[in-house]
Amino acid sequence: MALELNDYNSKYTPTWCPGCGNFGIHVALKKALMELNVHPSETFISFDIGCNGNGADTVGTYAFKTLHGRSIPVAIGAHLANRKFTVIADIGDGGCYHEGLDHIVNAIKSNYDITILIHNNMNFALTTGQATVTTPVGKKMYALPKGKPERDLDTNAFLMSLKPTFFAKGYSGDLPLLTEIIKKAIQHKGCSIVDISQLCPTYNKECNPEWFNNNIIKIDSLENYSNKSIDDANDLVKEMAKTKKIYTGIIYMNDSVPTFYDNLDSRKGIISEISEEVKEYNIKDLLKYCN
Amino acid sequence: MNSNRLAVKFGGASGQGINTAGRMLTQSINRTGLYTFSTREYPSLIKGGIASYQVDVSNKEIFSSKRKYQILCTMSEASFHKYLPNLSENGVIIHDGEEMELTPEEEIHIQKNNLHIVYLHSEKIALENGGTEIMGNAVLLGFIWKLLKQDPQILVEEVLEMLSGKDIDTEAETKCLLAGYNHPLYREELSHGIQLPTSAGTHRSLLITGNEAIALGALAAGMRAFYGYPMTPATSIFKFLGDTAHQSKIVIKQAENEITAALMSMGSMYMGTRALTATSGGGFDLMIETISCCGMSETPLVVVLAQRIGSGTGVPTWTGSGDLYTAVKGGHGDFPRCVISVSDATSCFSLIQKAFNIADKFQLPVILLSEKQIAESIYSVEKLPKVEKIDRNVVSPSKRYEITDSGISPRWIPTKGLQPYIHTSDEHTEDGHSTEEEVEVKAMSDKRLRKVTSLKNEIPEPTLYGNPNSDIVFVGYGSTKNALLDTIQLNENISYLHFDYIYPLKADKVQHLLNDGKRVILLENNQDGQFGKLLAEETGIKLKEQYLKYDGRAFSIDDILDYLNR
Repeated sequence: MALELNDYNSKYTPTWCPGCGNFGIHVALKKALMELNVHPSETFISFDIGCNGNGADTVGTYAFKTLHGRSIPVAIGAHLANRKFTVIADIGDGGCYHEGLDHIVNAIKSNYDITILIHNNMNFALTTGQATVTTPVGKKMYALPKGKPERDLDTNAFLMSLKPTFFAKGYSGDLPLLTEIIKKAIQHKGCSIVDISQLCPTYNKECNPEWFNNNIIKIDSLENYSNKSIDDANDLVKEMAKTKKIYTGIIYMNDSVPTFYDNLDSRKGIISEISEEVKEYNIKDLLKYCN
Repeated sequence: MNSNRLAVKFGGASGQGINTAGRMLTQSINRTGLYTFSTREYPSLIKGGIASYQVDVSNKEIFSSKRKYQILCTMSEASFHKYLPNLSENGVIIHDGEEMELTPEEEIHIQKNNLHIVYLHSEKIALENGGTEIMGNAVLLGFIWKLLKQDPQILVEEVLEMLSGKDIDTEAETKCLLAGYNHPLYREELSHGIQLPTSAGTHRSLLITGNEAIALGALAAGMRAFYGYPMTPATSIFKFLGDTAHQSKIVIKQAENEITAALMSMGSMYMGTRALTATSGGGFDLMIETISCCGMSETPLVVVLAQRIGSGTGVPTWTGSGDLYTAVKGGHGDFPRCVISVSDATSCFSLIQKAFNIADKFQLPVILLSEKQIAESIYSVEKLPKVEKIDRNVVSPSKRYEITDSGISPRWIPTKGLQPYIHTSDEHTEDGHSTEEEVEVKAMSDKRLRKVTSLKNEIPEPTLYGNPNSDIVFVGYGSTKNALLDTIQLNENISYLHFDYIYPLKADKVQHLLNDGKRVILLENNQDGQFGKLLAEETGIKLKEQYLKYDGRAFSIDDILDYLNR
């Protein structure tokens, strides 16, 4: 029986603000899974805390609503336990670039075969609009009536500096492209990072659909751009920093880097998953390693 | 001195090879059919300082070090001065180096106790015998073996077996061992105070540290992933599992920090495998948000907390049990958990298996408390206990958080084709949907806490060791058991009530002892008497007499007897 979008939904309706970018991101994710024919019961999504995390109630897949900033290591643990599952880590820009920054660094370095979706709304929304590193300098935010005093972080350059094997940027208002990006991210064997610019009509009013339409350039429209070229990718990231434009699409992908599990010496040649291997193990042959 | 025991202590600077010498002596003695207990003391640095390796020997199973030793072998001046005062009457000190300048107190001590000093230039002797400088340790071992009046062939065989596969000139090694054994400085009177107990037979025990026993127990219980991050004294669990992963085929990963190690474990456990992480106090603090999350989301988790002494960085390489509170109480919110305390190698092996069964069955975090003294000491074990049956309580899909009388809800392993479910750190309904409704919040919270009662019904009572008619009963947990079991062998008027299970706490037996009019003494390796306070909180029983030791050293037989003789 063919899968339908509704198969990926729970019976609960979302609680996001009208016009929230999370609606679009969720539809794109579910559509991507459906079009790839990945069954809800072979999908695991780990959620951050925050507006994106509240999406946990709406999915019909296996899922874990974890802790603020912690969805990535939980996804990794699940992935290593059973690689038959498609594993998604869902996280906000606050969780990703603040509370759990070390996790994305190490996930990229180790190249686990998971997909990380960053819901980037340029603020901490569920706690009512505090600044994140992606909030522009000088912008007035919660508890900052005179504006955010620090510089913002060039997250594109930061992520590229980690040598990801898949890095894409999407926009919550462009469902067809975002769906395609997520499909490619899931299909990529390795750690896929998708930084998704998302509408936040409550705490980031300036960046409305019109603003995004004026500031987004699709990578597909560029002539002679190769997402297999690290030089093209780095040039594009520099261009984004200079022009403040958002380029959506797959910035870089490299299929030649082995995943963490592929490099794990102890698992070479084993086809079963460790979630299938919990049984009494005879330790007799290991006693000689004692003391 | 108890004639059934003897001890040899090596002292020196870290990096001088005292561990190798200690291990070689332990293994060689083990080959004679005797039992050993070996423990290392070392500073938190790589080279230098004062470190020691003490090998206690008996013809019965022993679990602790005596304060005094009959043979002391020192490789640095500092260790000579540090360890000389506890050399027992008629003892021998073999100092590797020039003749020492003795303090007046040392002169008196040596005279009064009839101590013998032998200065042996081990490196020089090793070089003369075709060995390298590092083979000086073989010379010292050979000399000690002569003092113990043991067959040199056993020593040579054992040492060569230990060195097999290593790039070492075995002929030179043998010559060095025998050069020490046959050294002209040996004279008969040196051995007068040294009597190795008569061996019970020729069996060889398994020599195993607490950490190795935890690693093996975890593997036996079907653990298939280990997520580590280095922190003494937990690190050698990681090492053992890493060194054997080519055989056990587990997933092994050094995480970026303890936060990640715990979260990865949680993710793997959700997905249905058995995963483990191990740390010490500071790392455990970082894991606490995950432990709290496991409490709410009802995700099984097993964490080994190998304690050292002190808050902050504390005294990183020394023992203690001051993390009981954080194990029992750490974490925000009310949630059920289980805290189990290991005490020696065999209990490490068995209790880690229990920990996995409890975590799976009751779907909660289990903290396995250990201590540096247990983690790194080398026990000689006749045979490891029988392996526990794996009990996971995996059932067919229904409501993941169904409200039940036992508090235990149905859990099934995420599998393609089986109804998906969510685990959540939000308070939730029976189907895992987040809720803020007062009735639902309370009902689910009550359900979770009922697991504590269910678990309490399943865990065993504490164990009474020794003469049940004795007047004096010590009460404790963890490594205190080791000194007490050894003391009980000497004093029939002492018994010991030992707790493996710290939380939930089953303590009726303590009340019975008090009712019987016994002198009940709480024994703990921390400053606050944390177990005593927990006991009072959980049962209302207050143990007035307490013997607390928090200097980084484990209890010894001597401590216990001194305390009673005060």
